[in-house]
Amino acid sequence: MSKRPTIAEHLKASGVSRRNFVQLCGMLIATAPVGLSLTSKKSVLQVAAAIGKIKRPSVIWLHFQDCTGCTETLLRTSAPDVAHLILDVISLDYHETLMAASGVQAEAALRSAIAENEGKFVLVVEGSIPMKEDGNYMQLGSKPAVQVLREVAAKSAAVIAIGSCASWGGVPSADPNPTGAVGVDSIITDKPVVNLPGCPPNPYNLLGVVLEYVTMGKLPALDDQGRPKFAYERVIHENCPRRAHFDAGRFATAFGDEGHRKGWCLYKLGCKGPVTHAACATRHFNEIADCWPIGAGIPCVGCTEKDVVWKLGTFETVPIHLATPPDNYPPIYSPIGGVSIGAAALVGAVAGGLGGATYVYSQRFTSSQEAGAERIEAGQAEKQLDKKSDRKEV
Amino acid sequence: MSTATLSNVPFGGSKPPAADNKPRWERAVPVYGVSVITPIFLALAGLAVLSLFLTVYREVVGLGPASGMNDKFGWGIWKTFNVVVLTAWGSGAFAVGVFAWVFGRKRLFPLMRMALLTSMLAYACGLCLLGVDVGRPWNFYWVVLPWHWNIHSPMAEIAICMSVYASIPLFLENIPPILERLWHVNVSWQPAIERVEHALHKFFPIIAAAAYLLPAMHQSSLGALMLLAGQRVHPLWQTPFLPLLYVGAATFMSFGCVAGTTMLCCLIWKRAMDMEVLDEAARISAWTIFGWLAIRNLDLLFRGSLFTAFHFTRYAGIFWTETLLIAYGGWLLLQSLKTHKRQTMFVGYALSSLGGMLYRFSPTTLAYMPGPHTMYFPSAIEILIALGFASIGIAIFLVMVKLLAILPASNQEWRNMAAYYKARKPAISRNKYLGFFGHNELSLSDKKSH
Amino acid sequence: MAITRRELITNIGKAGVPVAVAMTVGTQTLQAEELTVPTEPLSLFYDASLCIGCKACESACNAANNTPPDISRDGLHQAPADLNVFTRNIIKLYKPADGSPSSFVKRQCMQCFDPGCVAGCPFEALYKDKDDGIVHWDGSKCIGCRYCTIACPYSVPRFQWLGFNPVITKCELCSHRLAKGLKPGCTSVCPTSAVIFGTRSELLLEAKRRIKNNPGRYYQDRVYGETENGGTQALYLSRVPFEKLGLPEIGPDSGPSSTLRWQKRIYSYFALPAVLYAGLVTVIRKNLKGYEQEAHEQEKETGLRAQL
Repeated sequence: MSKRPTIAEHLKASGVSRRNFVQLCGMLIATAPVGLSLTSKKSVLQVAAAIGKIKRPSVIWLHFQDCTGCTETLLRTSAPDVAHLILDVISLDYHETLMAASGVQAEAALRSAIAENEGKFVLVVEGSIPMKEDGNYMQLGSKPAVQVLREVAAKSAAVIAIGSCASWGGVPSADPNPTGAVGVDSIITDKPVVNLPGCPPNPYNLLGVVLEYVTMGKLPALDDQGRPKFAYERVIHENCPRRAHFDAGRFATAFGDEGHRKGWCLYKLGCKGPVTHAACATRHFNEIADCWPIGAGIPCVGCTEKDVVWKLGTFETVPIHLATPPDNYPPIYSPIGGVSIGAAALVGAVAGGLGGATYVYSQRFTSSQEAGAERIEAGQAEKQLDKKSDRKEV
Repeated sequence: MSTATLSNVPFGGSKPPAADNKPRWERAVPVYGVSVITPIFLALAGLAVLSLFLTVYREVVGLGPASGMNDKFGWGIWKTFNVVVLTAWGSGAFAVGVFAWVFGRKRLFPLMRMALLTSMLAYACGLCLLGVDVGRPWNFYWVVLPWHWNIHSPMAEIAICMSVYASIPLFLENIPPILERLWHVNVSWQPAIERVEHALHKFFPIIAAAAYLLPAMHQSSLGALMLLAGQRVHPLWQTPFLPLLYVGAATFMSFGCVAGTTMLCCLIWKRAMDMEVLDEAARISAWTIFGWLAIRNLDLLFRGSLFTAFHFTRYAGIFWTETLLIAYGGWLLLQSLKTHKRQTMFVGYALSSLGGMLYRFSPTTLAYMPGPHTMYFPSAIEILIALGFASIGIAIFLVMVKLLAILPASNQEWRNMAAYYKARKPAISRNKYLGFFGHNELSLSDKKSH
Repeated sequence: MAITRRELITNIGKAGVPVAVAMTVGTQTLQAEELTVPTEPLSLFYDASLCIGCKACESACNAANNTPPDISRDGLHQAPADLNVFTRNIIKLYKPADGSPSSFVKRQCMQCFDPGCVAGCPFEALYKDKDDGIVHWDGSKCIGCRYCTIACPYSVPRFQWLGFNPVITKCELCSHRLAKGLKPGCTSVCPTSAVIFGTRSELLLEAKRRIKNNPGRYYQDRVYGETENGGTQALYLSRVPFEKLGLPEIGPDSGPSSTLRWQKRIYSYFALPAVLYAGLVTVIRKNLKGYEQEAHEQEKETGLRAQL
């Protein structure tokens, strides 16, 4: 298949009606996470026009030290569901869990997929990569995982590391890390790597990145750890539905106590929400409301954060870095204005000075009552002398 | 012959001094034998220069950091003290002038030059500080373009009226002492100077009438300002009579300023005090005070607000302070007429002026209640700028009183002054400039003048 | 020669006739000159009982007027304590300590029919539009005297205390958005329609309808702004007393009408001042003649030049 059909052509060839396609686009625009370029499109038809022109990108999905949880999480979507996704939006050319082939055929499929789409496919990596013992703790087709990764990634256009394991090492990397498990970006440094940590991450994180890449041809904005900002910019604490309880000081202090049963904040039970960057607070799992740890009454363990989930104790409380907003509403009359010491001192000094001067001068009036008369007498005496010289004043 | 003159005509025409040798104020004589640069002058000048630097700071950073004003107290002491209080205290040109020229109290004439100078300085400094206080002074040119005047606004009335008053009638009335000095400087200037004096003299009724009408208008409008604040001014001050009471307060305050300052100057520079003039001024002040107190308190009584003066609030405290100060001051003035004690008179002026200042200041700040938990106190910079601008006025006053003939004295004092200068500057006839008073009168006599 | 009291009174009496005429004519003219009511006043109607305190109106106002949010409280959150130069409308909470019902209140310019700010502004920098009655601020005429901040009974206009080019800020009903056919920022985002926009007549009807349909729900079954302060274009309904929300019970007389009445009468057409001026000139001229004679005599006698 050297000439790839566009998505529109492909769907038409598959017998998907234009109506269904537009419905699909409607689903996409409705469920696409905010922060993607896709969401700036104003109408479904614009989305349809944009997507219709795109050729389905090829995706190769590699599993390393994983539990397949990230694939499992992808299965639990409906907008689009996996079928739509892999049949209509992307061309999943290699996925060990989902593809029918195995063994030699599987290896051949991988080789041909790489060869046909060299430089253009997106590589999705699930699971961490062991580095100890020359990387031989995991082999794929008799090759160490690290070698496979390097070979495949070298020919890819971009790499998406799905799950905490692929992002920074995950469960296998917990102390004492006997296999030397590391994330993808420790190995691949010359290709753009998008990290989607989480154990598992919300599948819409992946779908959002894929959609952005498919429609705009570029990856979404990433933070300094390579995580897309639209999903990982804020901590759980910022958007937590139980935040009001935190702000008001209502905490559950033991599992099953009254506060726990009332749904109060789980901070004191060791919730890592304040230090965990993820979008779970606003986009729950399995598309069921409150289907997420805190919603089920379980404090967040911080599964996206390398420094949190396998480093801090389960019930260890974390520091809060973001301040609680100030007290909610201003009163009808707010206090305003004040007096500074310096100003008060100045006023006192001036008042004292003027008052004192007035007093002092008023006292002098008595003593100099006759002062003026002396000068008049003196002047009149001089006048007598002047009269002698016969000088006239005009 | 020189033209006829106006302000310092002694009472009773050409009577000689009384046999009891009581001092009489017959003309204004400059303060001679005292240097202009004195420690007090230097201190005032230093304060003035400091305030000018602080003004630059205020212009650059804005009113907020440079003052204690806030959203609830939009007016600070620059407006409420330097303009509302100090221009009233310095409205002597109006009050003394009205009694001298409209009601014919000729005995007050010797005080006119002092009144004019103090008024000029009070208004000039007040208006300059007003220019510092407003936030957008570049739009002030609307003062001269009537088509956007809001004539119903007291603020417009004040801005326009004060500017016109200070720049035209008050200024023209203050020119004669300067012309007089120049007349003595150089003989060749005399014809031109006499022409100007003649013109001023011819237009004097028109100028003076404006000089008495305009202050009445704007001093009352200063009172009308707080009418719009309605219930936010405490009922002990808020009244429809506020404009009238403000003009009345300006009257007795300015008498305190003019007469009190004159007494103080005579004390400091060892001049004789003419008790006939001062008694007249004290009498007028005292009766103005009691009339004012009557109007104010009767108004409070009939509006039913007087009872609030008997509650234990700080407003009642302020009310009683100002009432007692003004009443006691007035009573002291009357006492001084009987006992002939100058100290009593001076203290009477001081207390009544202070009470009047407190009265005019209260509705704008002390008795202004924009809401609970609000307060205003001027910041240190604000106080320094206010003091600095006032010191500019006082410093200029000290200079003017020594350069020009302002302070009243007897004719003999004039001759003493001429003799003093002659004794110390024998070669002055060769020097065409910096002539001193009395010089040309001597030279004219030598030339056997017309 | 000094003027006698009799002469003085006669002179003023002679001038008094035209004074009386001038004043009467002036006053009659003024009474005929009623306050001009806008042709189609636009209003905000705020029902405090519907407000949930979400403060969307505060951020929408900032966005609509292109002002930065006021984060001076802690450098991070927009939480102004009162109206200020960045905040043209604000939500405040009345919460009595004794547990009786609390209420939010939205405070912004009341767009009064007889605004104190317009009456006080010296050069008409604040003016009321003749058609929609919105009170606007014109920076080209403002001198920054801050009289409006004192004259407004609701303490609405706010002055910019920082910087050398200060402005006066207040709600102007987003007139720039109205010109484009949009609604004011606050009413566009209110989730419960606690504040709505419309003409004053229709909003007043709506307010009265709500009162009628919900007897006993609203304080004194009264719309604040219908007659208060001479009538305002911002109308309020509330469950708690208006005074508790910071809306003063001023009564039906607007500030300017009750306080500046005499100011208007005395200065109408400048008649009284002109008459007084004429009288003063007459009196002073008479006094002047007498003084001139004395001055001449004094000069001759003492030989000293008489002083002007």
